[in-house]
This record gives sequence, structure tokens and C-alpha cells, in this order.
Amino acid sequence: MWRKSKPYLLLLPATGAIILLFFGGIFDGLLKSFGYFPAIGQTDLNLAAYERLLSSGAFWESLRLTLRVAALSSLLSALIGALVAIALFFLNDAMRTKSPKAWHRLFQLPLTIPHLVAGYIIVLLFMQSGFVSRILAAIGWIDDIADFPVLVNDPFGWGIIFTYAWKEAPFVSLMLYPVLSRIHGSWREVSRVFGAGNWPFIREVVMPVMMPAWTVATFIVFVFTFSAFEVPYLLGVTYPSVLPVYSYQLYTSGTLADRPEALAINMILAAMTILLGLVTYYFSKRWNVLKGWG
Amino acid sequence: MSDLRIIDIQKRYISAQAREENPFMLHPVRLAIREGEFFSLLGPSGCGKTTLLKLVAGLLEADGGELWVGDENLTNVPPESRRFAMVFQQSLLFPHKTIEDNVAFGLKMQKVGKQQRLKAAREMLEHVGLSGFGSRFPDELSGGQQQRVALARALVANPRVLLMDEPFSALDPGLRQEMRELLSRIQKEFRVTVLFVTHDRDEAFALSDRIAVMGEGKLQQVGSARELYERPETTTVASFLGLRNILGGVIENGHFASSDKIMEAAVHLPLSDGDYFMVIRPEAIKASENGQSGHARVRGVVQEMKYGRGIYSLIVKVRKQLLECVLTIAQAEKTAVGEPIDLFVDMKEVWFLKE
Repeated sequence: MWRKSKPYLLLLPATGAIILLFFGGIFDGLLKSFGYFPAIGQTDLNLAAYERLLSSGAFWESLRLTLRVAALSSLLSALIGALVAIALFFLNDAMRTKSPKAWHRLFQLPLTIPHLVAGYIIVLLFMQSGFVSRILAAIGWIDDIADFPVLVNDPFGWGIIFTYAWKEAPFVSLMLYPVLSRIHGSWREVSRVFGAGNWPFIREVVMPVMMPAWTVATFIVFVFTFSAFEVPYLLGVTYPSVLPVYSYQLYTSGTLADRPEALAINMILAAMTILLGLVTYYFSKRWNVLKGWG
Repeated sequence: MSDLRIIDIQKRYISAQAREENPFMLHPVRLAIREGEFFSLLGPSGCGKTTLLKLVAGLLEADGGELWVGDENLTNVPPESRRFAMVFQQSLLFPHKTIEDNVAFGLKMQKVGKQQRLKAAREMLEHVGLSGFGSRFPDELSGGQQQRVALARALVANPRVLLMDEPFSALDPGLRQEMRELLSRIQKEFRVTVLFVTHDRDEAFALSDRIAVMGEGKLQQVGSARELYERPETTTVASFLGLRNILGGVIENGHFASSDKIMEAAVHLPLSDGDYFMVIRPEAIKASENGQSGHARVRGVVQEMKYGRGIYSLIVKVRKQLLECVLTIAQAEKTAVGEPIDLFVDMKEVWFLKE
């Protein structure tokens, strides 16, 4: 009995802390989003915060921006990441005797840089008085640095999108590369003998093989960018702001009455993340993408 | 006629370590393989047979020479445009594609319509005895079945030449035999030109119309299985074909005397005087009961007896020379390891090499 339950007992402090902090936090947030706030004498549960939120234009504006930023960031990083992974794969194929490790290291570099620092790099590079605009002005492509488009702290969110594309593309490519490296070197030979050039090979073999990992990696990027805070806080505008920033603004606005709405936003973010996970899982099963890789 | 002609194709591997003194080199190879012929490249590992096959496929770039099919020069044509097909040692099926899609891959690359290519794939699967397996995935099939699919994938594209790189070497002996029979039947049915690489003598002998024996990056000899076995041109070829009874000696006035003095006999072939090697096939050595004319007599001691499929294989020590011979069970039962034995060599069955 003791031997059987010993591992569980040893795990108890860790699992206890996770359950208490993670699920406890979510549960507390959920209760508060339902208006349960004993500190100000509110103990009944209602959907008032959700109703207020769903009827406010600011929320929908924020949701639109969040979805746009997350979708474009994940799309860009998925595309760049896949291109980089395929390039590394062919590079490895072409340089079988030499090690293309230096390239790997170069693409791993962005992974080591914190998001906040990446955000600052984008600010320094792409703001109107930044590095890129000064270079373009210096070589005469633009007359004045003010002619450089507003890409940082812009209402569309380009700065945020660029940061995530730069930061997450290597993540996508490094998720894909081990999968691609499982592609048998001889498959390239097989497909060539049977008439497939580079593009048909990528379409028929490389893409289907990397699709499951690609879907999962893109989903992770989407979910992360959908609920991330610091980069949009740094590179976004005050209005409209992405949902996590909007939630923070509401929570710290000074009135306790706004807090259920702030927490309702968090609950909606959590629910959407779970929903997206289920959708991705459904599609990955339906595409049969994992078939035959046992 | 769409004969495959390999004209002085050669390849030198530049070693990763420049210090290496003897980088592998495939010496210029000249071969003509007739349309519909089953041609094997036979040789030990590392002799250059797979290199030659890949050069023909276009998967390796030749340092020199030309490749023709009929009157078309394919030397600079990329492999994807040569309309060849290949079966490898492993089946190398695409795991994410169904069996049907795997078989139809070549046709898809040739832009054949979906209905048509799947129909052709199903028919070809029937030919290799796998009808009804089309919707499965490769990992649901056994090794032998996967190799049948690989064969179907190669044949369905109607290739000008079918290249095969030791396709059955990863299968167990029973399955290998089954696959040989299948391949032989299908090759005759489709009249496809086959260039087959193997290190297995029995496999090459069982399947091929002609065989090229390779060694040390060179073509050693080309001929039918019987020609090679009974008339090897060099001791290297003889040794590779499993002929271990090779005696050095001299022919003088139509009489051969081995240098180790174990055998002296009249030669039945019109050969000039000089130094020769006498190659004796194990079947040409018989256990003697009565003196027979035209046979050379040797006496030795049985060193080893091995039973194999209805016959005994013996190693007999005659002075310092070891001779291999085969005996029937009845003959073998009369002797034992360590006992003396009288052997006769049928001089009509021996072959002489001048080196």
C-alpha cells in the first residue's frame, strides 16, 4: 500500500501548488467574473460582467485586434518558420559531409532573447526615428524619417506582429526541423527516380510529413500571441488594445466595479484557447496526418 | 530497339579526408543491355555496383561517359526525366500515403488523371498479389508485402528501365525465394528491361539472362550464368562465384602438372604450353569406386563434411591443398571426417585460366 501510494505522496506538494495556484486562480477569477466579490459585499453570482462586456464596443474592437494580431503573427511565423525549416533541411541534404550547425545556431538565436527585449529591438529598428528609417533616409529612399510608415505603436499592430514573427518563426522551424530530419534521405532519391522535382517533392512528401507538427506549432504561436501581454503592452496603442492589455487596463483602472469585466475577459480568453485546442485536435485527427508514423 | 547502353561511365569519389590514399573509383564501364533483358550486376560489397546503378539512375553525377536508351542520350537528363523506376533495399514507401497512392506516385508525377492512375495502381497491386490492400498504410503491411508494393510502384509507371538495388536482401530466405519467383514472372510478363544489383550469386543465377561480375570498381566479366560459372576469365571471378578449387601449375605437351604436385593429368582443351590455373568445379570431383579414364586421381583426407539440401559438401585436404567437392548422401555415408578418400577429377569439366 505504502509502496504504491509513495510516488503520489511525493508528488503531492508540487501538484498541490499547481492545483492551488493554477486551477485555484482560474476558479477565483471565474467566481469574480460572475460578480462574487465579498470585499465589496457582493456574494451573489450573475452574468452582468459578461453582458456588459459583450455589449461594449471596446471589447469587440479589442477582440478584433487581438484576433488580427494573433492570426497574422502566427501565419507569418508559420510561413517563415516552415521556409527556414525546409531551407535547413535541403541545406543539410546538400552539405551532408559538412555540418550546417552554424546555420542552426543562427536560427536558434531569437529563441534565447526574451520577448520584452525582442519588443525593444523592434522599437529601435522600426519606429519612425529608428534604425531602418534613418538608413532609408540616409540612402535617399525616403526624404525624411517622418515619411517612414508608422510600424510601432500603430493601431493595426504591425510592430507586435513583426516582433512575434521574428521571435516565433525560429520556434516553428525548430519544431519542424526534427520532423523533417526524419524524412529518409532515400525518399528524395525515390521521388526523383519516379519523376518528382524539388517542388513536387515538397508538396507530396515534405508538406504532409510536417503538417502535424506545423499545425501544432502554429496553434501554440496563435494561442500564445492571443493571450500574451508584454509585447502588445509595449508596442501597442492605448486604444484599441489587445484583450490581455484591455483586461489589465480594466483591472487597474481604479474602480473595483470594473474588475469582474477584467476577469470575464480572462475567462473568455481561456475558453477560446480551449476551444481552439479542440478544433486543432479535431482537424489533425481528420486529416489523418499522423497516420503511418507509428 | 531501346537498348540501354552505358558507354565508359566512370566515377571517382573525392574523399572527405584528403589524406586518404586510395579513394574509391569506378573505372570506365561499357555495357549494352538489350531491351527486355534481365541483367544483373554481381559483386562483393564495395565493388561499385550500387554506384553504377545510381549513375544509371542519374542520382549520382558521372565524371565521364555517356548513357543512352535507344537513340536518346540521357547523360545530362536529370533522374526525374529519365522515365526509369527503382526498387531499393528497403521498400521506402511514403508512410503518409495509402498503398494505392504509393503505387500511383510515379503516374501522379507523370500527370496521369486520378481515376486512371488509381485504376492502374489497383491492377498492378493485383499482379503482385495484393489486391484489396490499396486503402491500407505501409505500416500495416509486412516487410515482404511492402517490397511487393515497391515493385508495383516501380512497374506501374511503365519504366524504360527498372533498376533494382538488392531489393530482397532484407527479407528472410523463404520470402526472398517467393519474391524472386514473382519478379521473374512479372519481368517476363511485362518484358521490362531490368538492371539488378546483388551480391548473392544464387539470386543472380536464378533471375538473370546475363550477369556482369564486378570487383574493385571494374567490370570483370559479362556473360550468362553458365558461361561465368563454367568459363570464368579470371581467378577473381572464379573465386567470387564460389569456385575454391584453383590449382596453379604448368601445361606442357597437353599435360597439366600442378605446382604442388598433387595432380597430373592430360588436358582436353587445345592449350599452348605455359603457366595456368586449373579451376575445378566441386561437381567435377567425384568419389572414386573404380578407375575411370579421362579422370585424374587424387587421394586426400576428409577435413569437413556439411549437409545441405540432399547433398554433402566436403573439404578434402590433399597435401597442403584444400579441395571442395560434393557427394551424394550414399557416397558420403561411406566416409567420415579424418578418413582418407580417393577422388577423381573429371578433366572434361575443368577449366584453365592463363594469368
